Amino acid sequence: MAISNSEGDSAAKERERKRKRSAEVGPSPSKWRTVSERTLYSSKLLEALRRVRGTAPADPPRSRAVREAADRVLAVAARGRTRWSRAILSSRALKLKPRKRRPAGPARSKKPLAGAAEMKRSPVLQRKARVLGRLVPGCRKLSFPTILEEASDYIPALEMQVRVMSALAAMLSSSGAGAPLSDRLGSSQPF
Amino acid sequence: MSSRRSRSRQSSSSRITDEQINDLVSKLQALLPEAGIRSNERVSAASVLQDTCNYIRSLHQEANDLSERLSELLATTDASSAQAAIIRSLLM
Repeated sequence: MAISNSEGDSAAKERERKRKRSAEVGPSPSKWRTVSERTLYSSKLLEALRRVRGTAPADPPRSRAVREAADRVLAVAARGRTRWSRAILSSRALKLKPRKRRPAGPARSKKPLAGAAEMKRSPVLQRKARVLGRLVPGCRKLSFPTILEEASDYIPALEMQVRVMSALAAMLSSSGAGAPLSDRLGSSQPF
Repeated sequence: MSSRRSRSRQSSSSRITDEQINDLVSKLQALLPEAGIRSNERVSAASVLQDTCNYIRSLHQEANDLSERLSELLATTDASSAQAAIIRSLLM
């Protein structure tokens, strides 16, 4: 899949791409929007949901288990290329992982840097970027541009997750009602 | 700036230019729901970040609601017919 910003081969972009070699930015957003990705996610999610159903039949927070399963399968689908996906997978493994205090003091994130974008130093932007960093898994302590990159991948991934979960819910509710399935499923539009 | 100590957060951002930040912000803006409507405006980075946060929150909320619905459906739906239906749809 071609990367989206292949036009404009400035030296700055070359450097950025070389830095990205270390898997800082993963797949392009359009990867999440393919039919094949959705189909793969659907089947993996279904397997995971069957397990949830089997292991925790009377569990009150089963919806929590469903959400976690959906997140975990989504993170696996990212193939380890993004921080948010790795954070989801590692936090599942260590459920009781304690929240670490900020290691080297809070001043680090606000230190002015030579050559850094003016925009970054605005306290309004810093604040909003921190909020965004808390919303995207594993991005609490990351730099401003990294948070933006992670969010750019996380959003289309979440959109796919919601789309597939809606479709699954629709299919399960129609099958429960015993409606003619092939018609209903054939006409469901991937939106 | 090449020592490991400073690599953790700051070294990768020390060479970030305005242009790169703008690029990231506009990529993010393009992902937001109203991207088609607002694509020609100069929207501030702060409002893009704000809209991004709001959008992610709403996606999380949708995912939670769907999880609740799915957990109820899983409880009441007959497993074999559901599986057959879904497998059929995936093969279509």
